[in-house]
Amino acid sequence: MPAFVIGVGKTRFGPTSKTIPQLAQEAIVDALRDAEIAPEDLDAIIVGNFLGGPNEQQLHLNSVVAGLFPGLNLPSWRTEAACASGGVAIHQAVLSLSRYETVLVVGVERMSNVVGMELTRNIGMAGDVVLDQLEGLNFPASYALVARSHMAEYGTTTRDFELVSLKNHENANKNPKAHFYLKRVTQSDIDAGATVAAPLRLFDCCPVSDGAAAAIVSSKPLDARSVRILASAVSSDVISLDQRSTCTSFAAARDAARRAYAEAGIGPSDVSLAEVHDCFTIAEIIAMEDLGLAAPGEATALIRAGETRIDGRIPVNASGGLKAGGHAIGATGVGQVYEIVNQLRGEAGTRQIADARVGLAHNVGGVGGTCSVHLLRGAR
Amino acid sequence: MNHFTCPQCERDYAYELERCTWCGVELVKHEPGSARIVAITEVRTGSVGHEDVPYWCALAQAADGSKAVVKLDHSASVGSMLSFGADEAVELSVVGILGTGTMGRGLAELLLGRGHRVVWCGRSEGRLAGAKSKLLDRLGRVMDESQITEAASRIITSTGYASLGDCDIVIEAVVEEMSAKKNVLVDAEAHMREDAVLATNTSGLSIDELATVLVRPESFGVLHFFNPATRMRLVETAVGAKTSAATGEYLDAFARSLGKTPVRVAAKPAFAVNRALMPLLNEAVRELEEGVAPAESIDEAIRLGLNHPMGPLALSDLIGLDVIVNIMDNLAERTGDETYAPRPTLRRLVAEGKLGRKTGEGFYDYRT
Repeated sequence: MPAFVIGVGKTRFGPTSKTIPQLAQEAIVDALRDAEIAPEDLDAIIVGNFLGGPNEQQLHLNSVVAGLFPGLNLPSWRTEAACASGGVAIHQAVLSLSRYETVLVVGVERMSNVVGMELTRNIGMAGDVVLDQLEGLNFPASYALVARSHMAEYGTTTRDFELVSLKNHENANKNPKAHFYLKRVTQSDIDAGATVAAPLRLFDCCPVSDGAAAAIVSSKPLDARSVRILASAVSSDVISLDQRSTCTSFAAARDAARRAYAEAGIGPSDVSLAEVHDCFTIAEIIAMEDLGLAAPGEATALIRAGETRIDGRIPVNASGGLKAGGHAIGATGVGQVYEIVNQLRGEAGTRQIADARVGLAHNVGGVGGTCSVHLLRGAR
Repeated sequence: MNHFTCPQCERDYAYELERCTWCGVELVKHEPGSARIVAITEVRTGSVGHEDVPYWCALAQAADGSKAVVKLDHSASVGSMLSFGADEAVELSVVGILGTGTMGRGLAELLLGRGHRVVWCGRSEGRLAGAKSKLLDRLGRVMDESQITEAASRIITSTGYASLGDCDIVIEAVVEEMSAKKNVLVDAEAHMREDAVLATNTSGLSIDELATVLVRPESFGVLHFFNPATRMRLVETAVGAKTSAATGEYLDAFARSLGKTPVRVAAKPAFAVNRALMPLLNEAVRELEEGVAPAESIDEAIRLGLNHPMGPLALSDLIGLDVIVNIMDNLAERTGDETYAPRPTLRRLVAEGKLGRKTGEGFYDYRT
């Protein structure tokens, strides 16, 4: 069954006092207007969300979202796969096209209402409760161990992390919907950043963002602005670093990438741009290697050469990524699709990538416990 | 660090599972005693349960290839060895419990849940049977039928003390009265092994006074649990003038082995928690007496203003007004400071038999 994204919408990512229904509605209305369709044209709704329970004491979010469509009584459900909730929701939408012609995916997250240690604990719920949480292995600590391992195995340096951060912040300054759209980040800001979990420092970490993103997936293209989903793949792995043979690469990401390339009948060299899950700067480096955009240990060469910049050979995270675009967890995977659709349509404004033909979205849950990979191709 | 391997296909699991997903074969447990650090990070961001920073998280790999993340309170270098087992392998004990009240029952539930065997001594068969049936009922909330049957097989109940001869440690949790406690302590000690430790759960009585009746005061100390014992993480430990250092260390280690955090306090009246709590409860009663506000309002103000989960008057009802009057009287007597003495309203309610939740009435009425 062919699948197309016929409309996309997104709120600004970043702190806000807007509620989950308000955020979700903003992204949904944006997507409906983009597709120029009415709510009555939808056949099902999938809600991607991670922390509604612990942060908001609000579960049953599909029914909350139904409150935006009183009287429609559409089939709907919520998808949770930690930070990959959005990407997995898109995958479910593609699968559900065998029954529903047009499916709305909305990813939404509220983060700023819970702060400090409580929020760190809640996000840590994406790790194993016994193997990770009880040992104090919060997310920065997990990725710090990944970073240390990558540095030891491949000679990656903290300078490489800084280059990723600088690039993504620069890109975010061209993205009005990015968390750090208005914040200029320079080398001296990075130098002043406190250690979070050594070797990761403040500017190696993505912010916590509120936000929502929506994508309308259909088995029929609407017009020339519809973007074809060439492949939709999800893979999973054991949840904790304890259980892995390596932590310089995520098996779930490699596997999802392999499935996606096979489904699309293309390879990494056909990818014009990638939105990857850079929750920490090291994660962008590992993502590039897992996706075959660089050989293991060689992503840093591309980064140092500027090849992952918007005007480079393989632009990565033109939106600013999670690092600077923001990470509204359940919305992130959908937000990546929003960026790629805009790029493939040639509607990405000052951050438009020249000759964007095939885009890749890579969304990771936990420390590689879940990964979704989507390949999209524009009509151009 | 423990992992579970299928003897047939050699697949490895990090969870304590019974069988291999593929083969259905029973898994073999592996407990590597040591592992080498392969990566380490200094964590500067705290989270709930991990408030004290910095701490270190090490990823360590054992000789058999299995890995573990270990939290450390010090830095360590990649390549250095970490040892396991000492605090992971809990030595299962036979534990004596004296008393069938709320704390006795809570301790039995805690100990059985941690795999220990329990010798439970009470004043009468009837009290013991009642307490055991309530206990099994509690266990039924967290165990299935076969687990309850297994746990029940680890309990011996007795109105005498002869069975205490099997015990490694005996915890006294009878009524908070000097003579009653002395009586059971003497009887228990007479039947205990010489190398066993005797602990009292007293919240306010003098440990040195209690120890005067004992033959082996060096093996006697305080393990002060909080109610409900299964959920409250604190255990106050205290030693008397004659308690040996080894006994003190054992009490701390035993508390830790139950998943509790022991805090060592001097054997001063009411220790750290109740010493601070009792004046708060008493003062709330005085507020009520002086008409500062109705009970509900006093409790609401303190809940919201101090971020306490429960107001002091509701908490008094939960603990039992007779219990707090006892502790306050002890405090006043032992410190010679009458400001610790219970307020008249507390005495009146106790005299009227209104002891709080357990009698259905205290500062609040629970009967409706």
